[in-house]
Amino acid sequence: MNLRRTWAVAWKEWREVMRDRLFFAMAFVVPSMILLVLGYGLSLDVENIPFAAIDQDKSALSRDYLHRFIDSRYFDYRGEARDEQELDRLLAASRIRFAIIIPPRFEERLLAGRPVAVQSLIDGIFPYRTQVSKGYVAAINADFSTTLLVDYLARKQGMSEAQARRRIEPVRLETRYLYNQAIRSTWSMSAGLIMLVLMVSPPFLTALGVVRERENGSIYNIYASTVSRGEFILGKLLPYVFISAINIFVLWAFVVWLFGAPFKGDPIFFYLASLVYVICTAGIGLLVSLVVRTQAAAALLTLVITFIPAMLYSGLLVPVESMSADARFQAHLFPTLYYLQIVWGSFLKGLGWSVLWGNVLALMLYAVVLWSIGFLSFHKRPRQ
Amino acid sequence: MGEAALVSAAPDPLIRLRGFGKRYRKEVAVDGVELEVRRGEIYGLIGPDGAGKSSLMKAVAGVLSFEAGEVEVFGVRLDSEAAAERIKGRIGFMPQGLGLNLYAELSVEENIDFFAQLREVPADRLAERKRRLLAMTRLAPFRDRPMKHLSGGMKQKLGLVCTLIHEPELVILDEPTTGVDPVSRRDFWAILAELLRERGITALISTAYMDEAARFHRLSLMYEGRVLAAGEPDGIRQVVPGTLVTLQARPQIEALRRLREHYPQVEAVGPQLRVFVEEAQSTEAEAAVRGELEGLEVTAVMADEPELEDAFVALLRRRGLAGKATAEASLLVGDDPPAGGAVAIEARELTRDFDGFRAVDRVSFRVAQGEIFGLLGANGAGKTTVIKMLTGILPPSGGEGQVAGAEMRSAGQAIKERIGYMSQAFSLYQDMTVLENIRLYARIYAVPRRQLEKRIQWVITMAGLQGVEQRLTGRLPMGIRQRLALGCALVHRPRVLFLDEPTSGVDPVGRRRFWDILVKMARLEGVAILVTTHYMSEAEHCDHLALMHAGRIIADDPPERLKQALEAEAGRLLEIATDRPLLALELLERTGFQGVALFGRKIHLLARDPEQARGRIESLLRAEGVTLQHITPRQPTLEDVFVYRIMAMEKKERAA
Repeated sequence: MNLRRTWAVAWKEWREVMRDRLFFAMAFVVPSMILLVLGYGLSLDVENIPFAAIDQDKSALSRDYLHRFIDSRYFDYRGEARDEQELDRLLAASRIRFAIIIPPRFEERLLAGRPVAVQSLIDGIFPYRTQVSKGYVAAINADFSTTLLVDYLARKQGMSEAQARRRIEPVRLETRYLYNQAIRSTWSMSAGLIMLVLMVSPPFLTALGVVRERENGSIYNIYASTVSRGEFILGKLLPYVFISAINIFVLWAFVVWLFGAPFKGDPIFFYLASLVYVICTAGIGLLVSLVVRTQAAAALLTLVITFIPAMLYSGLLVPVESMSADARFQAHLFPTLYYLQIVWGSFLKGLGWSVLWGNVLALMLYAVVLWSIGFLSFHKRPRQ
Repeated sequence: MGEAALVSAAPDPLIRLRGFGKRYRKEVAVDGVELEVRRGEIYGLIGPDGAGKSSLMKAVAGVLSFEAGEVEVFGVRLDSEAAAERIKGRIGFMPQGLGLNLYAELSVEENIDFFAQLREVPADRLAERKRRLLAMTRLAPFRDRPMKHLSGGMKQKLGLVCTLIHEPELVILDEPTTGVDPVSRRDFWAILAELLRERGITALISTAYMDEAARFHRLSLMYEGRVLAAGEPDGIRQVVPGTLVTLQARPQIEALRRLREHYPQVEAVGPQLRVFVEEAQSTEAEAAVRGELEGLEVTAVMADEPELEDAFVALLRRRGLAGKATAEASLLVGDDPPAGGAVAIEARELTRDFDGFRAVDRVSFRVAQGEIFGLLGANGAGKTTVIKMLTGILPPSGGEGQVAGAEMRSAGQAIKERIGYMSQAFSLYQDMTVLENIRLYARIYAVPRRQLEKRIQWVITMAGLQGVEQRLTGRLPMGIRQRLALGCALVHRPRVLFLDEPTSGVDPVGRRRFWDILVKMARLEGVAILVTTHYMSEAEHCDHLALMHAGRIIADDPPERLKQALEAEAGRLLEIATDRPLLALELLERTGFQGVALFGRKIHLLARDPEQARGRIESLLRAEGVTLQHITPRQPTLEDVFVYRIMAMEKKERAA
């Protein structure tokens, strides 16, 4: 290993990236852009569900019932519809996602102690949102029923409201949310996106950088010279690892200051672990560059093999534990899973070496395997 | 450069290939090649695209593995990656593609420094070599300019500097002169020859230009993966003995018809006819040709040694590789353009600026219907920009133009429907068959459904594509792809055709056939053709030529008149043949003759008083012990005109 030659390759590559506007943007602008766009756009919180209602009773009680929805932060009241046809039209046009119809004689029947059926229509296009919406509706409805019951009991038995409530609800649920107390999905999501960005960006740059040389023919400068393949690979990848090492800082800053996520862990641990992850993902780019011939193909292949695992198999959207058995197996094949645990552990749980050393080890193993395959399949005397 | 006396050729070969073969999947690129390059030699590989030159050179450079045969370099058998590594410190390799192996974002000096660092050249020696090489290539003033802003000729010279910076014993240069104009090419060869001689470097160099043969000590003529002939340039010419007779005859069509009956290699170049008479001495050949043309008006008959290109075509013909190309070529070549044809293209003071830099400067010309108009000039002279403006792709900054009766500024779409355009890149769909490509272009240009089949048949016949209709375009040889691209550009029967370097890299037979079609289109169909090319021999086909330099037209005339103007201005052209052309060249240049330049093994110079010049040359060469073989007055070629005009402009610019 001749460090002078390695340095020559690295320094050349660095200047090229800094001067080529497109590469510069891909190195320093695109990663932050992905974080911002997805960080704001990929919120899993179900809030402000647009809805409309028909109140066929127009009594004090029906208005009270309806206001429990209108006043909730989960729902966004879009007004009263004239008839059911209009509701259908609004639902079909996706102007509202949920509708509620209060039947005539709502108050009269309730006061008479007779049951009432309220109809709710929920858009089922997004099953996850549908389920959550249904939960909200059921909760508000149950609360309303409980209140009625408490009132009735208090009146009948002459006890205080608190007493009556204790009677009706003998088991009360006390919930405390851990790690993300406000259950804000932006906290988990923005931190998790560091995993995605660092999965996509380093291999993207690396693959394009190597394939560009092959496409131009400047790779022959390397083939025909005394630079060894190890020196070339190291020199070529060093600038991209360095760029990503800078990006770790930038992304961390965005997550903490812009998205307001807390960082509870050990910063040195997190940085070193991230560095290992970046070296590992740059190795993916190296492998991609060995199997494709054009920059276009390199870009496409890198996106496919990095984005999909980062999105689907990392645990970012769906916890790995709730995946099917084979999906869970696949998830363990990608480094994203191990790094996401490091990210969330560091940001939200305040974990460090003692708990997450196994994950770092897994990433190191990945890096060694990927770089070794890359090194062994790089030839200075290829077949074509 | 053709001068054995200057080289001490050691007997041991530096490169030795035995039964060398290379396949890409099922496709055979090179087959059974034998080759030996001696120390100190400049060895040439000449052949069109697809001849297998690049594969061979990469194998020798140890950057490509191969299946068959043996390759030995510096006595090392290249049979593994590890073995190949052992020679790499002693070689320099420059891959194909003008400046493509350089780094666009880095400056001239940074590029050189990078190559030097790769090769671990010590700092003090680097500084010294850099100074010398930059001075020689006249790149010194551009040290800090990013490589992407260099002209084609400069990129090529920088590539050479980078390849030589570690002073290798062997350099392998893959088509270093392709796509470069004649002046830059000449410059390049002069620099290369000097460097190689100075350091005693051995070189293996490929080229697609047949007229560069004399630059080599020895060469191999390659075609489709095989060596057709190998040896010294003169020796190869003698493999196919014969005489080249050039003449002018009227009517030319009749002369051509009669000659074609007896001679397979007849070509019309502008007003001239070139006949290759095999196995005949000059007087005998001349008489035979005259005999065939009994009763016609025959003038300017000259018998000459054939050129390498003639030998190449003859060799292909012998092996049955030339196809029917030469036999069935059109009979309409060389007819005069229709007089008083309507104006097809007119440029008036066309100007185009790119951020503060004027690419095209008040260019005016007109082309009549049925005329072939050639636009010549160095890389970056502004030819492509002119074409882009006329075809409506690029709006001009100033001036106006008319194409096929439509005003360029106002009628963008109308122009596009009336013109055909073929670029160097042959915009064909490689994964479609020939027929599918033609049909697609017919549809794009909205050929009426009723005429579709008839029109496709017309294209196939015109472009000579019978028999390959169902083949995949990507698998076809370059020459056929080129004709297909031409056919696709003509499928909507445009009145005006634009061709931007259409023949780069196509073999001589293919190029001749291509020009036959162009002439036919112009003469028979009355299509106006605007073409750019770096092959000066092709420019002879044009009815008139405009020479561009730095965005301006510096000459615009028919080829004949350009040559006459040169003679009127600078005197007669003398061709000097000696046994040591390099030394003679140096002597003549030093004595202050005008336009001294090497053409093959011969030297051309311009003299106002030929008789007086003859005396001076004779005494000068005798004094230095150079044997003078002969001095012959010649008609200047277009290359002489081009080189003289451009050099004169450059000299004027330097003075200013």
